[in-house]
Amino acid sequence: MITELLITLAKILFIIGVTVGFFAPILTWVERKQSAIMQDRIGANRADILGFTALGLFHAIADALKMFTKEDFIPEGANKILHTLSPIIAVIPAILTFAVVPFGGVYNLFGREVNLVISDLDVGLLFVFAIASIATYGYVIAGWSSNNNWSLLGSMRTASQMISYEVTMGLTIIGVLMVYGSMRLTEIGAIQEDFSRWGIFLQPLGFLMFLTAAIAENKRIPFDNPEAESEIVAGYFTEYSGLKFGMFFMSEFIEMVTISAIVTILFFGAWHIPFLTTATLLSWFEILGTTGANLLVMLIHVGVFFAKVIFFIWMQMTIRWTLPRFRYDQIMKLGWKILLPLSLTNVLVTGIVILMLH
Amino acid sequence: MAYYVNRNVKMTWWERSYIPEILRGMYITSRHFFLNLFGFIPFFLGRKKEREIFTVYYPEEMVKYPPAYRGRPVLALNENGHPACVACGLCEIACPAYCIHIDPGCNSGKQNEIERWPEKFDIDYAVCIFCGNCEEACPEEAIFMSDDCEISMLDRKKMRYTKEQLLVPVAELKDRIEFTRKMYAKWNY
Repeated sequence: MITELLITLAKILFIIGVTVGFFAPILTWVERKQSAIMQDRIGANRADILGFTALGLFHAIADALKMFTKEDFIPEGANKILHTLSPIIAVIPAILTFAVVPFGGVYNLFGREVNLVISDLDVGLLFVFAIASIATYGYVIAGWSSNNNWSLLGSMRTASQMISYEVTMGLTIIGVLMVYGSMRLTEIGAIQEDFSRWGIFLQPLGFLMFLTAAIAENKRIPFDNPEAESEIVAGYFTEYSGLKFGMFFMSEFIEMVTISAIVTILFFGAWHIPFLTTATLLSWFEILGTTGANLLVMLIHVGVFFAKVIFFIWMQMTIRWTLPRFRYDQIMKLGWKILLPLSLTNVLVTGIVILMLH
Repeated sequence: MAYYVNRNVKMTWWERSYIPEILRGMYITSRHFFLNLFGFIPFFLGRKKEREIFTVYYPEEMVKYPPAYRGRPVLALNENGHPACVACGLCEIACPAYCIHIDPGCNSGKQNEIERWPEKFDIDYAVCIFCGNCEEACPEEAIFMSDDCEISMLDRKKMRYTKEQLLVPVAELKDRIEFTRKMYAKWNY
């Protein structure tokens, strides 16, 4: 009982450490540096400790310090309670979704089965979407409670964009569910041990649509209408400063990691290496004993999983710094007139193919 | 005449399907990304003297300007330690911004001594427009445009440089002197 609790605690600490402690600060640096290098610039490198700049890595610390020491400003006429509450509503779901995201398979350590997921829910995938859509409330409330026209515009845009793209996202997921026959993320991951059954081969169109809808859900360029700097100042977080703004900022980066993780699990073989099954890997390290071999395989799998996640983060960054912003009507058109019929067709075709194969 | 922008550009089916064009754009940006990323590495490992991208860490690294560059005007100091200027006042007249102020000094007719020299020679860089007319007007090769353009400061009064601040040994101006000789020789003065 105690051991179970300790293992779960260790997993929670690991996930929070990786997302909030590692990815969120590192991604601010990555975004600056990658955009700079892509545009033939050098990028952030001024923050230094004793003359040592570490390629600008200290900018993350400088940012955090700045946010901690800034004035926490609530505009006149704003709803104080909701204004304070909304960044929390926005950031908590982003971290919560990781509760069902598996970052490795099941391993036999010290005579105990260790499943590398915090809670192995039967409806894992549904849980992700249910929780992720709660964050929308955070954004909408933020815009409404700020008593600012730009904020309100931003939050209205957020609401309409979220509704439009959540439909597509849900429908693309149906295709994946039909193929794998499970909503349990660990099971979907385990099925993809076979390289020919990776989601990208079974649902190529589904992958494209899911990625598009996911980026739209995360409100990053080319779908960043809710916070379009050049149109409506900063959208729903115009009136936020200090750490409250930081929470919105952080939730965006954490959501990026979430999207990458979900895409990896659904479409890119989760923690598996192509053509290398877990059994093969275990037989390679047989000399180390059961626990040793399992431990090594676990480390490899977690490493592979996060390598894939990092690749997708890189891809999202590249998309963000390559494409221009869509106009508002273009976003709606893409969502309702192109992606929705396509996703419905995807479901239909998947159904027909499955019916014919059985 | 008003410029007419054609907003109804016909796109082909291939372009309208988004994905291939997006991939093409991403190919271009990621090509730049990887070229620049791996262009950095040999430099940081010390294998190469120069980075492969042309951007420099400005305050630490300086770009050497070509001799044709017109920075702040300076006075040439001869090998024997005297200013080459004879205080003829031509640059003062040529200056379109009136930023040069000269007080001439001369000896009392003694032999084998410098005949004329500037007692005071001030250039107000807050007024100077870096046109290079003073250099062109000078008959004695005494005033030159240097490659130094970093003369910003907080106090406007300090922008007025005196003779002592302006003097630069001739050896440091060699490139510019050569360039001006070549340049003005063409124009047949």
